[in-house]
Formats: sequence, structure tokens, C-alpha cells
Amino acid sequence: MPLRIKITLRLIMGRRRARQLDVFAAFLAALVSIPAQADEAFVTSQGADSLDVIDVTTMTPLARLPIGGKPAGIAVSRDGSRAYVTSPEGKFLTVVDAKAHKVDRRISIGAGPLGVAVSPDGGRVYVADLYGRRLVEIDPEKGGTRSVGVGAMASGVAVTPDGKTIIVADRDDNAVSIIDAASFTRVGTLPVGRHPFGVTIDPKGARAYTANVESDDVSVIDIAARKVVATLKTESRPYTAALASGRIFVANQHADSVSVFDAATFAPVGTVKVGEYPEGIAASPDGEWVYVANWFSNELWSIDAKTLKVEGKAETGDGPRAFGAFIRKTD
Amino acid sequence: MFKLSRRAALIALTALASLASAAAAGAEPPTPGPNSWAAHGAAPLKSVETITIDAPPEIVWAVVSDFAHYDWLPGVARVEASGGETPEKAKRRLVMADGGVVEETLVRWDAERMTLAWHRDHDDVRRLPAINYMTHVTVKPAGEGKSLAEWKGRFYRGHPFNDPPPGLDDDTALAAVTALHKANLTALKARVEGR
Repeated sequence: MPLRIKITLRLIMGRRRARQLDVFAAFLAALVSIPAQADEAFVTSQGADSLDVIDVTTMTPLARLPIGGKPAGIAVSRDGSRAYVTSPEGKFLTVVDAKAHKVDRRISIGAGPLGVAVSPDGGRVYVADLYGRRLVEIDPEKGGTRSVGVGAMASGVAVTPDGKTIIVADRDDNAVSIIDAASFTRVGTLPVGRHPFGVTIDPKGARAYTANVESDDVSVIDIAARKVVATLKTESRPYTAALASGRIFVANQHADSVSVFDAATFAPVGTVKVGEYPEGIAASPDGEWVYVANWFSNELWSIDAKTLKVEGKAETGDGPRAFGAFIRKTD
Repeated sequence: MFKLSRRAALIALTALASLASAAAAGAEPPTPGPNSWAAHGAAPLKSVETITIDAPPEIVWAVVSDFAHYDWLPGVARVEASGGETPEKAKRRLVMADGGVVEETLVRWDAERMTLAWHRDHDDVRRLPAINYMTHVTVKPAGEGKSLAEWKGRFYRGHPFNDPPPGLDDDTALAAVTALHKANLTALKARVEGR
């Protein structure tokens, strides 16, 4: 709250009333400061064939964009200008103007586009083709594409913060593919748990995490060493992981829960009960919050990453999946 | 009840007819096999049905919580079960009146929330044109000594890839599972109310 307003209030109201108003002023200040951190969630609602944009600070819906083709995967560019949505049944990628909340255009991919990630500079989009055993690279501005062969039922995709390495979950191979981004070649594979689905990479680009749906665990990968350094036991059917406040958050689809681990020691920190069939999970850019999409109960929930308390809920369209980096920083 | 069952039977017949046409068109439905949770499409489906039962929740829960004794389900001749009520250990074989067998595993059993869940161990689209079928049954109080029983499922259409043939598409799967849930709830109501 600007000091000037306080002083003016004091002059008008007298000291005693002004003290009461100070409390009100502090409350107003809290409200006023909110828009600066008003991150947005871009939630793919597969049953509703739409993309929901939700203000995650107030947990209020801002827009619902028709997408079609049963949208599942989502990736918001680092600069917050674009969101990319995969439609595995429509076989296309939708480019969304993330600031204007408007669909820009569709790019045909073929087979079954599912996982999606954007290079840190925004110049490349990587799409995992579930049925085509390939990762597709797209230049969203010029429209050029390249493909590289990966494993069976390629699902989640993530890129290191330096943009040099791409990791793909080859679900039915129980492994990940490691792709060199520059040459766009598959430089290695690494066995992980059974049926890895989501892939998450930490902000330093040191580790990758795969949520393994069938073995109920998370594989922690040392990216440079190309080695699994830890396996974390989750609850039933982990889908994907998010990193916030030095912790690993894993959405467990059949347990209606989020498992929380210390990212340094891998010690279990706790379990958060969430809505029904949690799937997509992502952290706020400041690491204070974790957001989880609950597929069966059609909700997005926010969890305080430190206290592990559920603080907010927003309704979504039918069947929210939000599979990918679905949080957009607005400033 | 009679009305509902007839509608269910009609929907099932329609599903079977379209399945037959799919086979005729040369699109072989996937053969029954172990449910690895692997081969399925990219868009799960859901079906939620409810029924009001004239009995308190405890009475309804006593019936639905008894995983080993679902011989009251339509079309079931008898049930062979093992593992009690321990999730992931409790299993049952529904021996159907038509001679077929449906094998299921309990995955959740929560008396406090009055909810349980199980999944089918094998997909058989000839019996149910949906795969990776997971079922939840929940009992809630509905006031005045009544209960609301909810039967819901998550599943995929019978065709495990894109571009499904007729009979193995989303609409067919949804209609068949919804009909099944309705028929099961009607049977549950009859069982509890003693009719």
C-alpha cells in the first residue's frame, strides 16, 4: 500500500479510525499485489474437447477454448507467449496465443501426438507420437519438421533448460530415449520402471524424473551420467511428477493422492489427498505452489508446496488431463 | 426395473450387432488377453450412474462391500473368490450363466468412505466392448433413511488405437458400460430392498 494513501487517510479520518483502516489497507495491498503473480493454468479437458485457462491465484476460470481431437498434452513456452496442445485423436497440434487466450492455428502431426515440450528459446516444439514410435520436431514459425525414431508408445517429453537434450518416455519399452537436440538423433536409451508416462527435468538440468505407471514408482535419472540414481516408491498408478520447493510431487491416479519426496535426500515427506484420478501436475514458477488436474472429478486443485495443504479448487471441463508443463507465468 | 433391463438388453444387442458388422468388415476385435493396462487409446472414458435405495447406507454398504459375494449381479451364476477384502490381493471369478468367466481384482476397499473399486483382469470386447475397465461403487446417505448408490467406471473403447471400427468406438463403449452400470444398480436395489 503506497505510503501516500495511508497518510491521506490519517489526515481525513484521525488516528484511531486510521489504525483500523490500516488493517483494511493491508488487505487491499494484498489484493493489489496479486495480479503481478497471477499465473495461469492451461488445462486440457479431453472429454470436453477444450482447453481451460484458469487464474491459479484466485482459482477462477478465464477462458475455455475449443480444441477438438481429444486434447491431452500441453506445453506453455517459457516466455509465456504460446501454448501448444496435442490432440491424439485429431492427430494435430494446436498453437495457442497464450496471452490473448486464442487459438492461433493447427499443425497436422499424424498417428497419435501425445506428449509435448517446447525448447527454452521457444524455437522448437517436440511432440511424442504415441502410435508412430517417433518424436517430431516442429519449427512453429517456419513450419518445418523433422522426426527421430524412439521406442514403443512414446508418451511424456521434456527438454533440459539448456535446450541440448530431450528425454522421451517410451512407455511400452519401460525405458527413456535420450535425444541430442542439435543433431536430432537418438543418442541413448535407459531402462526405468514399468511403463514410464510423464517426464520432468529439474531447473538445473541435472536430473530427470519418470513416473512409472505399472511399477508404482519414480525413476530418478542423472542426465549427464545417463544412470538411474534412485527409485522412489509411490502410491498406485503414478502419472507424472512436478518439482517445487526442493520437493518432488507425484500424482497417483488410482490412489487419489499426491506423494511428496525431498528432492535432495529422496525421503518421503508426506501424502496429500486430492480429487479423483489426479493426472497432470505442475509447479508455479516461484515454486510455492503445485497444481493438480483431477480427471474424474473435473477439478484443478492447488497445494501449498511447503505446508502441503490444499488451498484452492477450480472447476474444469470434463476429463482434465493437463499432461505437460501447463503453468504460464504472466509477467 | 423390467423397463430398465429391457433398455439395457437393447443397448447390449445394438452393441453386439455393430460388433458383428465390424467383424464382417474385416476389423478383428482384439483377442481377450491379460489386461496389461498397455494397449489402449489416448482418451479414457467415464460413466457415472446412481440409484436411490430405500435403506440406510450401512445396509447397502454391507452388500456392496462383500466383494466375494456378488452373485446378485445380472448374468452371474456364482462367484469364486479369494483374498478377503485386501486391495490388490482380493480376487474373484464371476462365473456367468452363459458359461463365460470374468476375473476381477479388488484395488480399493474403504469402509469409512463406503467405497470400493476393482478392475477386470482381462479385456474381452466380445463380452464388454470396453478395455482397461475400472469400477468404483460408493454409498452415500440420501436422507430419511435412504441411500444413494453410485456405480462408476473409467475405461477405453474396445479398439486400442486411433480410427476405431464400428462397434469398438467410444459411443459403443460408453453405451455398453452405462447399460451395465444401470443394470447392476437395479439389481443392487432389488437385492437390498428384498424385491
